[in-house]
Amino acid sequence: MGSESIPSSIIQLSTVDKVLELGRANSLWPMTFGLACCAIEMMAAGASRFDLSRFGAEVFRPSPRQCDVMIVAGTISKKMFPAVKTLYDQMPEPKWVIAMGNCAISGGPFKFDGQYGIIEGADTFLPVDVYIPGCPPRPEALIEGILELEEKITGNRRWPRVESGLSQP
Amino acid sequence: MNKANVIQELRALASEGMPDEPEVAAVVEQASPEGEEGAAPKKAAPPAPRKNGVLEVDYAGKGVHVDAQVKADQVVRAAQILDEAGMTLEAITGVDWINDKELEVVYDYSYTGGECFRVVVRARIPRDQANIPTISEVFPGANWHERETFDFFGIHFEGHPQLEYLLLPEDCDFHPLLKDFKGC
Amino acid sequence: MSSQALSQNKERFELNLGPQHPATHGVLRVKLLMDGEYVVDAEPVLGYIHRMHELMGENRTWAQYLPNMGRLDYLSALSYNLGYVELVEKMAGIEVPERAEYIRVITTEMNRISSHLLWFGAFVLDLGGFTPLLYAFDDREQILDLLEAVTGSRLTYCYFRFGGCYNDVEDDFLSGCLAFIKRLRARMPMYHNLVTKNVILRQRLEGVGPISAEMCRKYGATGPVLRGSGINYDVRKNEPYSVYPELDFDVPVYHEGDSMARYMVRMDEMDQCMRIIEQAIAKIPEGPVRAEKVPKMIKPEPGDYYHAVEAARGTFGIRAVSDGKNQAYRMKLRSPTFSNLSLYQEASKGMLLADALALMGSLDLVIPEIDR
Repeated sequence: MGSESIPSSIIQLSTVDKVLELGRANSLWPMTFGLACCAIEMMAAGASRFDLSRFGAEVFRPSPRQCDVMIVAGTISKKMFPAVKTLYDQMPEPKWVIAMGNCAISGGPFKFDGQYGIIEGADTFLPVDVYIPGCPPRPEALIEGILELEEKITGNRRWPRVESGLSQP
Repeated sequence: MNKANVIQELRALASEGMPDEPEVAAVVEQASPEGEEGAAPKKAAPPAPRKNGVLEVDYAGKGVHVDAQVKADQVVRAAQILDEAGMTLEAITGVDWINDKELEVVYDYSYTGGECFRVVVRARIPRDQANIPTISEVFPGANWHERETFDFFGIHFEGHPQLEYLLLPEDCDFHPLLKDFKGC
Repeated sequence: MSSQALSQNKERFELNLGPQHPATHGVLRVKLLMDGEYVVDAEPVLGYIHRMHELMGENRTWAQYLPNMGRLDYLSALSYNLGYVELVEKMAGIEVPERAEYIRVITTEMNRISSHLLWFGAFVLDLGGFTPLLYAFDDREQILDLLEAVTGSRLTYCYFRFGGCYNDVEDDFLSGCLAFIKRLRARMPMYHNLVTKNVILRQRLEGVGPISAEMCRKYGATGPVLRGSGINYDVRKNEPYSVYPELDFDVPVYHEGDSMARYMVRMDEMDQCMRIIEQAIAKIPEGPVRAEKVPKMIKPEPGDYYHAVEAARGTFGIRAVSDGKNQAYRMKLRSPTFSNLSLYQEASKGMLLADALALMGSLDLVIPEIDR
């Protein structure tokens, strides 16, 4: 994992690319795109206790033109869907998408037979890179998602993964 | 504010246009042996349709003090009576009684000036011709409540300044809380 | 004030605020017709987070609907839980043990403080001050730790059940609440000295966005919006439920009707919440936390029922129509912010754009609650 193909790039500079990837991964600028309850946990992740700033990701920009990563936090309703697509299209490359919360992954608790109002998952129309399950996921889960995304970009994980130590059944 | 006054005025309103007493009494005898103003029978099934009128109900059990049923074209006068008494509109609910082929519009009013007093006003309209006058002249807050009820039930509020979809997308063409809505 | 500005048609243009915007606290879109810097007409457009709660009320049993209540207004989810379980208990005639009632009040009031803290941080953020948000979140995390130990969740609580609470609270929860109150009481003077008495905040809020009591009545606005306009109405005092009659607290009322009044109402409400929690902790009895005989299938008498509680944003009411089955026939949720926002179009006419946003922040909006 961690290889990112840039097919349209004519010039491939391997070491410089690695430095660029490191720079991009360690300073991901998310877009303030909180739709519903997960937005509050995203705010809490950026606030004093959980502090996304340690990972370079505290600069939540309202404008999509200045962002790297779109954290889809919340339920995407059918009325909101064109706006989400437009915002994603307005982000400049390279860009990534994190689907945060059950609603962004698959519709969450609002997916039922006969539902008329929501899009069942952000990956039906966006290329999602990282999925963070939870309803809402803890801020630590969002930080883990950012670390996963960093690993996807650079190939290396910044923080060693802590195993739970429980024995396998 | 004078609770008894409000109840009396609502009673007077609800009894306008009601059939003469003997006919009411005959119908009531068939339904249930209760007062002449018309009452919903306490037994579960089969309930006779409730006649227009005002009931004073048990607040602890139902959450309201006065329950009034009026005709569809009387809702504006009911809103005016309650507005003059200083009450506020809390909510407008639509209910789809598909078995009776009727839609019901329920207005919840409450008094915020001191003592607790809640009034609910209902009106029934036929399902295939769901028109009812708007009360947004009396209570501007009803503007959005009526738009929401239109969203979910397709009830047309006559005289409403902007009867468009509020919660559903603008290009929507269905009314989801009707009982025969099957999803889309 | 701006009549000469409004008469110049050449400066008019349409501006779209949202649905993705840092100041709208959710996905709210406001179609602004601007005349230079002045708002001619601000029309809120809703529905961008419409999640079909009322349809789900008809498809779920009474018990299966409990998690939905936490997703309506996730910031003060326990008030919504409380309103719903009290409605079902009213319909089914279930008695709640006293310890459970006290636990409900304590957790609901802690949740109310956390909701007001977040409102405080986000409101000052809208006005341009970033730092109070971090301090408010710090205090809020302490509350969330305490509530997480008891309920299991940080945000979208589903802690109450019909007839009581899910599980009992330990003594260290109660002592933790008292320790937190002591800490917050010591920090409130800092908030007041640095933020409330700040000359920039006062100039941004005093006199901005006046809402009269008559306008509140016509639009059905409740909660701090109504209390900031001089009307003393709080469902916990006027139509008491749970054990609030046994607790002694004041209802802060300010008469100016501007954004500063609404701000002060919420700041004072936090103090009153702390008083309520202290008294409830002193009075909480021992006993069970769930009623003994709660029917597995709740089949109320056919008819409709209404119950209202005081959420952090106003009067939350539920009208449930039952036809005798284990599901509701119609579940109508009366959300306070819906009515509070409906007066925005009239109240913001002729204001400067920055003032219009200050007014919107002072209404304390949570959009998923409006759209349901």
